Amino acid sequence: MKLSVTGVNHVTAPVEVRERLAFDAARLPDFLRDLHAQPGVQEGMILSTCNRVEIAVAAEDSFDPRQSVAAFLARASAADAGWVGQFLYHHDGQDAIRHLFRVAASLDSMVIGEPQILGQMKAAYEAAKLQGTVNGYLDSVLTRAFSVAKRVRSETEIGQSAVSVSYAAVELAKQIFGSLSGKRAILVGAGKMSELAARHLRRSGVAEILVTNRSPERAARMAEIFQGRAVDYATFVSALKDVDVLIASSGAPHYILTKDDMRRVMSARRNRPMFLIDIAVPRNIEPAVNELDSVFLYDIDDLQRAVEENRKGRREEAATAQHIVDEEVERMILRLRAREMTPLIVALQQQLESMRMAEIERARGKLGALSPQQEEAIEAVTRGIINKLAHGPISELRRAAAGPQGAPLVDSIRRMFRLGD
Amino acid sequence: MPGMSEFWLRVAAALYACGLVHAIATAVRREPVMFRFSLSAFTVGALLHMVSLVELWVKLGHLPTDNFFQSMSVCAFQIAIFFLFVHWRYQFAPLAVFLFPLVFVMTLLAAMETPVPTWSNQSVRGAWLLAHVMLVMAGYAALLVTALASVFYLVEERRLKAKRPATLFSRLPPLGTLDNLINKGMGIGFALLTLATVAGATWAFVESGTRWIADGKIAISLFTWALCLLMIFLRMSAGWRGRKAALLSLTILGSSALTWAAHAGLRLTLAR
Repeated sequence: MKLSVTGVNHVTAPVEVRERLAFDAARLPDFLRDLHAQPGVQEGMILSTCNRVEIAVAAEDSFDPRQSVAAFLARASAADAGWVGQFLYHHDGQDAIRHLFRVAASLDSMVIGEPQILGQMKAAYEAAKLQGTVNGYLDSVLTRAFSVAKRVRSETEIGQSAVSVSYAAVELAKQIFGSLSGKRAILVGAGKMSELAARHLRRSGVAEILVTNRSPERAARMAEIFQGRAVDYATFVSALKDVDVLIASSGAPHYILTKDDMRRVMSARRNRPMFLIDIAVPRNIEPAVNELDSVFLYDIDDLQRAVEENRKGRREEAATAQHIVDEEVERMILRLRAREMTPLIVALQQQLESMRMAEIERARGKLGALSPQQEEAIEAVTRGIINKLAHGPISELRRAAAGPQGAPLVDSIRRMFRLGD
Repeated sequence: MPGMSEFWLRVAAALYACGLVHAIATAVRREPVMFRFSLSAFTVGALLHMVSLVELWVKLGHLPTDNFFQSMSVCAFQIAIFFLFVHWRYQFAPLAVFLFPLVFVMTLLAAMETPVPTWSNQSVRGAWLLAHVMLVMAGYAALLVTALASVFYLVEERRLKAKRPATLFSRLPPLGTLDNLINKGMGIGFALLTLATVAGATWAFVESGTRWIADGKIAISLFTWALCLLMIFLRMSAGWRGRKAALLSLTILGSSALTWAAHAGLRLTLAR
């Protein structure tokens, strides 16, 4: 049995190609059954996300699944096989295992360390399991891939830091306040990024989101989205006394929050720390505000720098993660080889057992009637002989499974004991 | 035998102690605890304090400021009246956290003018002293934690302001967590030091009468305690954080160390 992975990802194929090849989730069961029915394919799984479409199959040793899987992909997307072929990559055996481990551990992702891929891969595995197209070989590789991903997460810092601006803002808020539960945030002005940051804040436990905007209708609409409260734009500074996080993204051409404003706010809130995020260009908040005690002002460049630092950190962590993956691949190979020996060992034991039974039957005529004690003694002697005989070859097989001499040994033992294929 | 004036003064001190409980509970819980009750007790205490002063005035025929104890009593009374006026006029409750303990300790000291018979039981004497020492040690430990947390706060605040990324080794707890730790450490430290001061003062009073009160070492300990009180007040009313809070808590820690060092030779002072 051998493993192979064929597919496209964000590196080999542009988004137009990926979306063309992506599998419709509703029809996935049909595609899985179709894949399983391909000649030579023993097991199969389809992983389809926005950044990759991959097909993992376990096939007979003698069979090369490359052509049939590529053809299957082309057929499923109703595309020309030649056109699809130029974007495909293909991994076999050990490389395929390494690739699956890397994908699960998010080392092959566009944003290294992003956590979604593991969930997507698990969903793909569940779907294939439900259709019965994954069992035994592929099953053991995939479940191992999931635990490798877990190990990488816990032993490296790969997923620890925020790599998007809106999430970096939330991470910073956590470094300032610890827990965000019970805290209040205010959005000054609207914008995609501030909306995203507000969503993250809400999810991290922020109690209430206030919204203010030059257009009161827009403020009311936004407030509704976050089940928050709209605040009058002209007097929003007076509301800051009870607010811990401020996200400014208004289109105002001048500062809407000055150092003097903030000095009064901080005195009113008895210096409780406050986090100001200014993602507007031109900036909404006077930069000198950061000089006040207990005020932390970050603008869009600061956040982007934090994100870049984090990305760099993730790339460094990825190197450590790669070591873990390599180590796990080696272990997996050993395990799979040992597993391949199992049918041979069982066959050998059965062969010896049937020889023993045949010999006892033949001798029984000459021995005449036997007492139960004598029966027992013969049973024990013959069993002892075959166990001792089998011990050497079996332990040699297990040991050889790890090394390159495995295949010739399997061959010799088959011939020696007349085991056939 | 102490006169009626001193008796009323001691009752007043006991009532002022309710205000102390309020201050300690408020410092630890970060929100006003049983303020109305302690304000009533404090007011009654001030009334009895006035009774005590009037009696003494009538007895002496002039304002009783003849010695340390009498002037202390007058001063404490003035502060109590000042607070009651400010509270009536401006409703400035945070001031209570600062003034209640101050008035209590001053009145307690003022009520120690007349020596009492010394220890009737040696084991009570030992246990009392042990309690004082244990409270002081625990109080210093809490102040040490507060000072460390204040320094961490300062470092972390600087990092966040300078927008430097947190490296793996320099990762400190979030500011909010440190702030909580500082509040708890300070509140508990203050409570322990106050109890230790009361225990120490009463022990010295029973042990050696009134001589100890003029000793510089005692002044240092009272100064340390007052600094601690000031820090609580500044944090609660003005929200002192960061650099100022770190400096203040380090000053208190230094003053605590001085007090400790000064007390090494205190036994001689206390001998009758």
